[in-house]
Amino acid sequence: MKFLDICMWFFGGVILFYMLFVITSYCTMFIIAMVDLRKRYRLDPSEYDDAHIDAFYSKPVSLLVPAYNEEVGVVDTVYSLLNLRYPQTEIIIINDGSTDTTLQTVIEHFQMKPVNKIVQTNIPTKQVKQIYESQIYKNCILVDKENGGKADALNVGINVSQYPYFCSIDGDSILDEKSLLRVMKPIILSDGEVIAAGGNIRIANGAKMQFGSIYETQLPSNYLVIMQVIEYLRAFLMGRIALSKFNLVLIISGAFSVFSKKWAVEAGGYSTNIIGEDMELVVNIHRLIKEKKENKRIAFVPDPVCWTEAPQTLAVLRNQRRRWHQGLFESLWKHKKMTLNPRYGLIGFISFPYFWLIECLGPIVELGGYIYIIIAFFFGKIYYEIAVMLLLLFVIYGVIFSVASILFEAWSMNTYPKKRELFRMILLAFTEIFWYRPLTLLWRCEGLLRFIRGKSDWGNMKRVGIAEKEKSV
Amino acid sequence: MIVLSISFLLTIIAILLLILFFFTMYLVYQRQRESQLKTRRDIYLHNYSQIWYDYLFHDEPFSIVLVPRGKAQVEAIEIIFSSYLKNLMNENVKKVIKEFSNLYLKKFYEQDLLSKRWSIRMNALYRIADLQIDELLDTCQQFEKTRISEEEFFQLLKIYSLFQPDLFMDKLKDQNAHYSESEYRRLFVLLEDDVFIRFFDDFDNWPLNIRFAVIDTAAVKRNMQYIDKLKHLLSSDISEIKVRALKGLYEIGVIDEIDSYVPFVTSDMWEARLMVAKIFKHAPITYTYAYLEQLLQDENWWVRSQAAKTIAEDRQGLEKLQDFIESSNDPYAIERAQEITARKQENK
Repeated sequence: MKFLDICMWFFGGVILFYMLFVITSYCTMFIIAMVDLRKRYRLDPSEYDDAHIDAFYSKPVSLLVPAYNEEVGVVDTVYSLLNLRYPQTEIIIINDGSTDTTLQTVIEHFQMKPVNKIVQTNIPTKQVKQIYESQIYKNCILVDKENGGKADALNVGINVSQYPYFCSIDGDSILDEKSLLRVMKPIILSDGEVIAAGGNIRIANGAKMQFGSIYETQLPSNYLVIMQVIEYLRAFLMGRIALSKFNLVLIISGAFSVFSKKWAVEAGGYSTNIIGEDMELVVNIHRLIKEKKENKRIAFVPDPVCWTEAPQTLAVLRNQRRRWHQGLFESLWKHKKMTLNPRYGLIGFISFPYFWLIECLGPIVELGGYIYIIIAFFFGKIYYEIAVMLLLLFVIYGVIFSVASILFEAWSMNTYPKKRELFRMILLAFTEIFWYRPLTLLWRCEGLLRFIRGKSDWGNMKRVGIAEKEKSV
Repeated sequence: MIVLSISFLLTIIAILLLILFFFTMYLVYQRQRESQLKTRRDIYLHNYSQIWYDYLFHDEPFSIVLVPRGKAQVEAIEIIFSSYLKNLMNENVKKVIKEFSNLYLKKFYEQDLLSKRWSIRMNALYRIADLQIDELLDTCQQFEKTRISEEEFFQLLKIYSLFQPDLFMDKLKDQNAHYSESEYRRLFVLLEDDVFIRFFDDFDNWPLNIRFAVIDTAAVKRNMQYIDKLKHLLSSDISEIKVRALKGLYEIGVIDEIDSYVPFVTSDMWEARLMVAKIFKHAPITYTYAYLEQLLQDENWWVRSQAAKTIAEDRQGLEKLQDFIESSNDPYAIERAQEITARKQENK
């Protein structure tokens, strides 16, 4: 019994201390993000957009769309890229040995014809079978290759691309027409000091779309999806903006990010033997910057919006979260020597410890907290107080932060303008700690276990296509 | 202590919830206000767009009802003006808009420049430049003396470049702010040629990114008077300047002699060799083929590729490439020549 008491006090203390640490970190990042967004509030963005729509002020970008069994979404994605307001782009769709009709769909829809094109092999990849060129859109290329995974497909795209920057876009994502112009802003305005930039990802479920353009955003009716909307807002306000301000970003989403081709090639391109290939490339570039002692940055840009499809069922969401967390752990583990290594400056001293402690090990401690609360109520009165305190910290961490993020987003960006939608999100945020949070914690812990057991046999997300979503939600 | 902490946490949660509640109320109120402002703006647009059109394009007499009363109407007028200024190149319309803005919008932007909010001051500076409100030049100079951000100073430079180029040149020399090449290009492209050409007088004294921006702007202005200036830069000690000057000369697209470019065929920089391969597009192939054949066997993939493209663009180019494929023993050069030949034939 005495041993159990010591354990209860010890774990209770550790979890409490950890929660306070996490809350303080998130508060700091939230305040930094608020100051940053508040400055831009009401600034007319069209001035910059109009000035930089001319090729003279911008830099050409190759848009890479890796597609594996994306027959439902790939056409809309390409349309959204054709709709982009950007002076000089080429669209490279890479069919990664799809087993469905992705290849035929793209060939027929965009009237693709085979062409002879010799590809420079900057990064070794699986065999390219054939390159096609659209007869309608001359800047649109289709590459058919042997299956080798998303990273391999992106590497083929980099090899085929002819421009100094490339932008990776998931085969099921939709870009806002001005998103590329704005995500390129830090790159252009820094004279190349910024060598990679990531955009803000939003959930498209529920949005109304036609020919690759979102013309009305609407909060979906599925509660699971709304919770993910809230989660994305939180991640964006309590992480990326602040980390980016100090060049500490380790993750820019593969769904929409721009890289300098020179740096990406030098970093070895996307790693094919790792789950989180997007994080891996960013970490490799950070490592390269520090090793070459160059003054380069990786930025996150708050407004460029890439709309993506969120899982609508628990099974698919579980799969996704498990995979994300496994990828995160794999990347951190692979580069563990960078942690607290003075050679890597703030990346080693802040980013890595932050990702280890808060993003990676967080689910274990938090889940431990939930278990602690349950056990404490069985163990008797003396632990009630710790349990209540933990519960209150979960309320601050889960509910207050979520509601604050929703309100702040509504104030600064106003993605969901209807009052009803705002109140629905706020109300749902109050339920987060009772169902959504524990579930995601459980799945993330599962991802961790899978990493330890060396498992990687996850399935692909079953897509219904963004345009179809309204029918299915 | 724990009891205290629980009550402390409860108090914190209560305070935070209260703040969030008031913030929600504020947000609802603000949305209401914004929606009212939008309604007033839309009413003005609905009622007066046609009158504005007639006034601007059909020389209809000016009506006093067009004079804005309040923020919503100013916003509506901004929308009307901006749509015409962005989509039309009509000097008379520009003149009328300028006169109207100087007379009736000036006071609104003067007020906005005093705002504590950076974004409102920035928007005012944007409008002063877009609507050419030159009567606010003195106000802008006064504004410069206050503590302003680099972005605001950039907008001021833009305003000076439009209204008083001499002042702009002076400010550019004295500035401490650092802007990107792309931003300098945005400023230089607006300058009249007689002002812009002055950058070449003491070219080497400007910071490097201004020099790069000057070369690129000269290229995009496509004016013959910059050809000699750019050719002069081909002897610069800085390799980037040489490459950019070559690029500029390629973009202007007038090649009166090839002797200035021939030394770059054997340059150490592949970028310079690439640019020469491009420049030779603008010269008859009879003069350039020997050099292009040399570039076709270059060690760099891009140079080989460009040389093949340049040859292929000539009327006898395909024949020449075919001859080259048959006679050469350089497998890389043959590969490029074959690809370009195949593509050219596909396109035919």
